[in-house]
Amino acid sequence: MLNIQTRQEGTASVVSIQGKVNFEVTAQLRDVIRETVATVQPKLLAINLEGVSFIDSSGLGLLVAARNSVDKSGGKLHLCCLPATVKKTFDQTNLTNYFSIFATEQDALRGS
Amino acid sequence: MAKGLVLVVDDEAPIRDILSFYLKRSGYQVLTAGNGLEALAEMGRSRPDLIISDLRMPEMPGDELCKRVKSDPATRDIYFIILSALDGTASRIGGLSLGADDMIPKPFHAQEVLAKVDSTFRLIEMQKEIKRQNKELMSFQQRVQEEMELAAALQMGLLPKLPGETEGAHYTHRYLPAAGIGGDIYAVLPLPDGCTAMMIADVSGHGVTAALISAMVKTSFENQVRLGGGPLDWAQGMNEDLCRSTLAEQFATAWLGRLDPAGNRLRYVVAGHCAPFRIVGGTRGGLQRSEVLRGKGFMLGLDPQLPFTEHDAEFLPADRLVLYTDGLVEVEREDRAMLEEAGLRRICAELPAGAEASADSVIAQARAFNHPAPFVDDVTLVILDRLA
Repeated sequence: MLNIQTRQEGTASVVSIQGKVNFEVTAQLRDVIRETVATVQPKLLAINLEGVSFIDSSGLGLLVAARNSVDKSGGKLHLCCLPATVKKTFDQTNLTNYFSIFATEQDALRGS
Repeated sequence: MAKGLVLVVDDEAPIRDILSFYLKRSGYQVLTAGNGLEALAEMGRSRPDLIISDLRMPEMPGDELCKRVKSDPATRDIYFIILSALDGTASRIGGLSLGADDMIPKPFHAQEVLAKVDSTFRLIEMQKEIKRQNKELMSFQQRVQEEMELAAALQMGLLPKLPGETEGAHYTHRYLPAAGIGGDIYAVLPLPDGCTAMMIADVSGHGVTAALISAMVKTSFENQVRLGGGPLDWAQGMNEDLCRSTLAEQFATAWLGRLDPAGNRLRYVVAGHCAPFRIVGGTRGGLQRSEVLRGKGFMLGLDPQLPFTEHDAEFLPADRLVLYTDGLVEVEREDRAMLEEAGLRRICAELPAGAEASADSVIAQARAFNHPAPFVDDVTLVILDRLA
């Protein structure tokens, strides 16, 4: 089961995810992100991955698609608080260089 | 058209007549019988949807008839209503425990019987509809199943034929798709200059979509190799192909390599894929030194502008190359441990001399590590042995 929470911080939306992000739960996460982008049209979408224990290729695909859709609507996507296992997956796929990644949520909200 | 066929069983002719009259007037088709035996004989000729039967009758009473109808698989589904002068809850339960679907106490009012028959036929119609839909669903499911099996067989046909041979090397694979068909694919192509082009890829997601894209990845790889160049050119070309032809969340991790047996070199690009192992002298069997053929690169299909990097490694006679997809090492055990790269590397560092026996051993050891958790993602393992 994936636990997803969203909140608004000024013009930014923060999505916090807890659990295993794999094929079974991507639909759930996709809906939340899509709805946030469509209804709020945030200048900045920050995704906090602190509680993520594992992410597979479909989860990565979802994040890439999220970045592209936020780009298209003129916003930015920042990721923050990557646990070591997730960081390793990002390194292996070189996505560390594809996303703007921040150590803390505060940095992610401040970062530009 | 008649609303349905009702069999009225009673030893008293006036009751049979009055029920027949009312039922026929409401549009039902009616058969009659004077006792259980006659009823069974009547049922041998045509199959009623509903039986309304008296309890006390000569030859064969209603309870015996009910028992026979309800114990025969051929007639079990026929609705059975007992007409009985024995009123009261006790006899009602007694009648229902015989397997009857309902009871009407005697004396009855014809309208009451009609109302009950009407509601019973509504139930019968509903059941028929459910059965019909069920049948449709089953046949649909069967069609899908057959298509999936066909697709799985087709996909197996996309994999190289075993035993695999190329200039100065031979190889084998183990391919275990998670859902009958999967998103893993690999290819080995001998080149005119005596080199060998190799590719292993893992398309995001599972099932039919991933399988379709994996076929596309293979075709793209073959096209790129035909255009010449090396792994870097292939990766860039395949990336452009995939960006053009897939949707937002679809991409593939891949490893692309070019083995040059004359120069003992292996040039490769890692595109977000698990780094393969080189087992130095691995074809001799036993414990050998292993190297991880590291490299960093984006997955294919993300963005046509993304750069890739080509790497170079030594690959000597008698060396062994182990390619795999993440499904092999990313099974989470109950204690949350996963085999991961390090665990698989330990396994691969000490294998038998033959590629076939080695492939079996790797899969068996990975399964043993994961036990009792099964593989949940597509799993592909390729072992390529360079001849000594």
